[in-house]
Amino acid sequence: MSGVVFWNTLKSSWRGALYWGIGMGLLAYYILVIIPDMDALNQYADMAKALPPVLMQMLGVSDAASLLAPEGFIGFGFFGYGLLLLAVYAVTAGLNVTANEEDEGILDIVLSLPLARWRLVLERFAAYVLLTLLIIVIAMAGMWLGAQQSALNLNMGRLVEATLNMLPGILFMIALTIFVSVLVRRKAVATGIVAGIIAASYFLDFIGKAVINDIVQVLQKLSFYSYYDSGDVVINGLNTGNVIILLGLTVILVAGALWLFNRRDVGL
Amino acid sequence: MAAIPVIQTDNLTKVYKTGKEAVVALKDLNLSVQPGEIFGFLGPNGAGKTTTIRLLLDLIRPTRGRANIFGQDANLNSVVLHQRIGFLPGELSLWKHLTGKQVVNYVASVRGDDGRMVKHANELAEQLDLDFSKKVRAYSSGNRRKLGLVVSMMHKPDLLILDEPTGGLDPLLQQTFNQMMREARATGRTVFLSSHVLGEVQAICDRVGILRNGELKAVERVDDLTHTNFQWVTLHFREAVAPEVVAQVPGVTEVTAENHSLKVRLSGDFDPLLRAVEGHYIASIQTKEPTLEEIFLAFYGNHGEQAS
Repeated sequence: MSGVVFWNTLKSSWRGALYWGIGMGLLAYYILVIIPDMDALNQYADMAKALPPVLMQMLGVSDAASLLAPEGFIGFGFFGYGLLLLAVYAVTAGLNVTANEEDEGILDIVLSLPLARWRLVLERFAAYVLLTLLIIVIAMAGMWLGAQQSALNLNMGRLVEATLNMLPGILFMIALTIFVSVLVRRKAVATGIVAGIIAASYFLDFIGKAVINDIVQVLQKLSFYSYYDSGDVVINGLNTGNVIILLGLTVILVAGALWLFNRRDVGL
Repeated sequence: MAAIPVIQTDNLTKVYKTGKEAVVALKDLNLSVQPGEIFGFLGPNGAGKTTTIRLLLDLIRPTRGRANIFGQDANLNSVVLHQRIGFLPGELSLWKHLTGKQVVNYVASVRGDDGRMVKHANELAEQLDLDFSKKVRAYSSGNRRKLGLVVSMMHKPDLLILDEPTGGLDPLLQQTFNQMMREARATGRTVFLSSHVLGEVQAICDRVGILRNGELKAVERVDDLTHTNFQWVTLHFREAVAPEVVAQVPGVTEVTAENHSLKVRLSGDFDPLLRAVEGHYIASIQTKEPTLEEIFLAFYGNHGEQAS
């Protein structure tokens, strides 16, 4: 039955997404309300200047001066590691598409039903796209509430763009997890590989920002984090090219997973 | 015109490759299961029974050969075929956080239920004395097996594929299960079940295929298998008779002596045996059909060769 898997995935996973959304919304709200005015922001920027530059880069800040702008501070306090936090959600969601059921032996029952393999993967992925949007919307709501209570002059348009900019990154990580799960079959192995890729990407990106070196710059381009670039988006707006690259990779990974899953043996 | 077999395999073969090693799990299986029969697939663990079932369900893909179900390719038409198939895996895993009712509802929704499947599931649960309200994780292995049976039968499939179906069921429920299978057959449905419990096959199957090391050794009617191969003959004498008297008789392969009796395993006619004991007073003769287990062992033999 068309759509049954989609709706069932929504039904079984909406609570988790809601909690993640509330968590991210509260974090966004907190980041905005802890700095009541520009004086506080200046003090905070002075403190940040004392931090090692590499640490600043790790948290998505190109330089301490950018913290003087409210958006720069939010980029540092929320968007810099927001995607890293949501990587946990993305990997969990990706494992739910095939890996968990295959690992537990439930996939035998699922695929003995009149259900095409491609439909199982695609409908579950589509459900997680919607649930990720839910998280993003709730996070935006938290940010909007925080902005209402902040004395800072905030560009809400930019904050909305920066929050939306998290979506391609999360979808990419979900797709990556689905692809690796389909490829290696075992949940633990897939989790290890994906966690390794995400950690390596994060590392390559901040090293690329901190160190001026041709090789490092090239390696940085291999990191999907470099296409997330929250520090730039929160100040200059969405980079359409980067969004297209991440969404394109997402489509390729999902298509690859469908092709592989349709061809291979299940549950061995 | 002959009916289209429900299951037809042609040289169905599955080879697993692990590194440089290739393991032949199933070799050139040629099998035909007819509509309305209960077919037993017998063999020890690792014989290839589950591999065959997984190939039929398109969970794994053949290395060569093909399987047709209801005349359609099991791989190319799997979605359509699965509407007509009910499946119970040998090692049943279900969603532990769901209740039995939720599992049934989910499976029914994927199958496009209009309400009749859930209704029938409730009837089956009653028949099997299964409480749907508990979560799967709270079920005993027997109850989990019952839930698996309900899920496999709730849509009244034309073909039931059951892998070791009665494992974990108590003897009373095994009787209920046997009755359910007979009812399925009576309504024209086909059952393909694997087992290493020979008594279970003997009780309900029409035909049996014996599989070993991935090769089909024999396909026989259960009745024929029980009656044709050999029988146990016990000769009760008035006085003790040495086993050597009958040991060399054609058709006699085993002799045991106890008190005034000789128990022999006899293939073929009685006449040579009776001639050999001529001169000894025979008080009585008892014959006993071999159990399917003994026939099974006879097929496999000590060295894996089919008995003559």
